[in-house]
Amino acid sequence: MTTDMADTRALAEGLKRRDPELLDQLIEQYQHRLFRYLLYLTSHRERAEDFFQETWIRVLERGHQYDGKSKFEAWLFTIARNLVIDWQRQRKVQSLDTLTDPAQEHPLQIADVRHPSPLHAAISDQQDSAVRDSLEKIALIYREVVVLRFHEELQLDEIATVMHLPVSTVKTRLYRGLEAMRVAMTGGPA
Amino acid sequence: MNHSEEHRGVKDAHGRAKQLIDQHHIEGLGAKEREWLDAHLQNCVDCSAVAQSTESALRGLRTVAIPFPSGLASRTQFRVRLRAQQLQEGEPRSLAVWAIAGVSWALGIATAPYVWQLFAWAGERLHVPKLAWELGFGLWWLIPALIAGGILLAEGPRQKFSSNWN
Repeated sequence: MTTDMADTRALAEGLKRRDPELLDQLIEQYQHRLFRYLLYLTSHRERAEDFFQETWIRVLERGHQYDGKSKFEAWLFTIARNLVIDWQRQRKVQSLDTLTDPAQEHPLQIADVRHPSPLHAAISDQQDSAVRDSLEKIALIYREVVVLRFHEELQLDEIATVMHLPVSTVKTRLYRGLEAMRVAMTGGPA
Repeated sequence: MNHSEEHRGVKDAHGRAKQLIDQHHIEGLGAKEREWLDAHLQNCVDCSAVAQSTESALRGLRTVAIPFPSGLASRTQFRVRLRAQQLQEGEPRSLAVWAIAGVSWALGIATAPYVWQLFAWAGERLHVPKLAWELGFGLWWLIPALIAGGILLAEGPRQKFSSNWN
């Protein structure tokens, strides 16, 4: 058994026990990566913060489901992604309810994620403005795989697990995403 | 080789180079492919520029600075610990509910033939239609599951509420 596998097994055991020390340590260890991923996924800073907290609550509640056979970060990103997808589904239902229910005087306020450039506000450093602008130009389905592969450095099969997609689809999206990013970085439309 | 075939060949080489540049970053390259690409990039300014712009785009992505919100990690740690405590407190109660439901079911199975006879006897004495006392027997069998299910359903929203308190 390799050290990595022994580590993930030990991690799985700790999660099963809901070891608070371990969870504290994991939150510290993965805070930047998880937040960054959620920010790219939601394009909204406050929302990413909410999802960040909810993701760790889920990790606590469903820790027994982590079997230690795969990388922890892949499992963590899967949880985070599922939370965002659930929220998006709910949002669609709610907005439909709002449209069909005239009695609802104060519908849930949901900020329009397209205005005013939330990633722009989140990635504030001027040095990173080119990256920020080009990321905004890339469609979310490509942005996500590009971030998971080149920023989070997950393997193709791990990305496929996180996104519940075949590896071939992940590859296709990566090729297109890379092309879109290259075009966007050189100033063209992505 | 005529002029158009030569032109197509050059175009194919550029296309292959671009494909290999991407493949290098996405899947990795074999030794032969790498060798071919290196040789092509040494002689092709356009493809070399594509390779450089790809490299630069990915370097930019890897080094982009995203400030982490202050206090978010500690707030999260606090919430997680609180939730862990709630789950720990709720565990014995859930176990007790399942244990009681299990024992009830075991007893139900063991005594089913006798209870069936009892229902049949009572139905006959009270002139209750067969279907009615059979339904009564079914209900008697389902009671432990209904109680356990009711308690667990009542627990669900309470837990959800407490996990969303802020």
